[in-house]
Amino acid sequence: MSENKIHAPLHGKELILAILRWILIIFFAVYTLFPLIWLILSSLKTNFEFQAMSPFALPKVPQWQNYVNALKVAGLGRMLLNSVIVGLAATAVNVIIASMGAYCISRFRFKGRERIFTLFTAGILVPLNALMVPYFVIINKLGLYNTYGGMILLYCAIGIPMSTFLIRGLMDSVPMELEEAAYIDGCGFFGRFFYLILPLSRTGIVTAATFEFLTCWNEFVFANLIVSSEKLRTVQVGIRYFTNQFSTDYVSMYAAIVISIIPSILGYILFQEQIIAGMTSGAVKG
Amino acid sequence: MKLERSDRGPLLAFLLPAIIMMVVFFVIPVIYVVAVSFLKWNGISAPIVRGFRNYLLLYKDKAFARSILNNVIWALVAGFIQVPLAMVMAIILSRKPKGWKFFRTVYFFPQVISGIALATLWRAIYSADTGLLNGLLRAIGLGDAARDWLGTIETAFPAVLIYWVFYIGYYMVIMMADITTIDTSYYEAAVIDGASDFQQAIYITIPLIKRTSLLTCITLASVMGLRQFEQVYMLTNGGPANTTSTIVLYMYKKMQDSNYGLASASAVILIIVGVIFIVTIRKLFEGRGDKAAQRKAIKKARRALK
Repeated sequence: MSENKIHAPLHGKELILAILRWILIIFFAVYTLFPLIWLILSSLKTNFEFQAMSPFALPKVPQWQNYVNALKVAGLGRMLLNSVIVGLAATAVNVIIASMGAYCISRFRFKGRERIFTLFTAGILVPLNALMVPYFVIINKLGLYNTYGGMILLYCAIGIPMSTFLIRGLMDSVPMELEEAAYIDGCGFFGRFFYLILPLSRTGIVTAATFEFLTCWNEFVFANLIVSSEKLRTVQVGIRYFTNQFSTDYVSMYAAIVISIIPSILGYILFQEQIIAGMTSGAVKG
Repeated sequence: MKLERSDRGPLLAFLLPAIIMMVVFFVIPVIYVVAVSFLKWNGISAPIVRGFRNYLLLYKDKAFARSILNNVIWALVAGFIQVPLAMVMAIILSRKPKGWKFFRTVYFFPQVISGIALATLWRAIYSADTGLLNGLLRAIGLGDAARDWLGTIETAFPAVLIYWVFYIGYYMVIMMADITTIDTSYYEAAVIDGASDFQQAIYITIPLIKRTSLLTCITLASVMGLRQFEQVYMLTNGGPANTTSTIVLYMYKKMQDSNYGLASASAVILIIVGVIFIVTIRKLFEGRGDKAAQRKAIKKARRALK
């Protein structure tokens, strides 16, 4: 590939292609970053600076006060806490159920195994948005409308196909001989699961957990559907009300948006490998 | 692993929670929407069987027709503009130019920020008096072109659609993973034959990813285009005059009106349109007899990802 080439000065067609390449690379980077930078800059201005001056002017004095306002007016603290509670609980339950299921599908041959796996993979392709009516009815029937439990249960369930798929992939790669050796040594069903298979498929479980948590954190449609109480709002549902809450205090609203996207960006930078692995391996399968 | 008789109980106990979840939240809901789509039901009083009347109502409703049209446009733009752009960038970045890791990270940002936060950001950008877009136009002397992008019938739908098209990170990363599995000896041979970078992309890379990751991305992008909800909900709520409505938004509004029958019928249409899209795209890409080759390539890609 290109590393093997001798770097002679470019000319003619190649030069044009090289220039074009960098124009594209930079265009897409600017397109992604510029709005975010504008948002952050705006969130540090006064409302006067924001409305009357050029959008590119820097704030004279950074208005950190906007962030204090944002936290107070929007009740962001509570919303962040709700998102963390729901996300962590749903992820924990989801990963436990999915690894148990994946263990059975991956390590044992039994009647109906293929059919069960088809059911799981088909689940990844179902357009969940189309199921708003039944989800609303089911959560209500279970008496879980307006509860943490309802959100946790629904998030846990809709993530099962993906998590099972990701964890199963890793479990499949643990050599059968290892498990057979453990079996001969008298290690039972649970022993093999907890002491052998779980530790060895750690990476798959971490990928699934990261992916599931990110999905929960960013989920809006169903949280908006099955929760109406202000006390239970997650960050994403909260964003919907920013325009009303802040009315013309634009800069504080932008501060609130910045606060609400910081965890996603931080999480992404920390767990980049897992997130990309989770998102792409599911896709390649589809 | 051989299944011991004594393992049957634990096996069932391990499988059951996942199966229950799948049945309660996937199997039953799909059957449920189909069933409710034949009813007139407001969620409280007794449902009345209506047969195909809900579908007839949808057929006659101009707002629904507009929603389907918007979704189809969205799916086509995503599949045939967004994904090709992503492919070009995947080819460029997989050559590992300076700083490629940084750019890959940046391009992927919109994928980890929630759709609702992005939509709120873009509403601010499109805003008539304080928006970044109008500020940009005024700054370069095109102040006359400044307008209320989301409130004008002509510009609302393009505005809602376009900002998303240049967020290519997700599809780019999928295709990059595929491109890195291509045997480098192909390129080495091409270089000896004097093929330029451009020719290598056209004659080696694209044909080799066409039936694997490119097909996957086009399918995914179209399906996402059909499911759009948060963007329109947050940016325009379907307005002005329903010009930006989508099927899911239409369904959501009918549900808010407690018209569960009509909402479910539109959900069924959404599922059907989705299946039609997936099948058609597959047919377009699959020549006769190369299913085996495709399966092989997918396996290869999967192995590389592990």
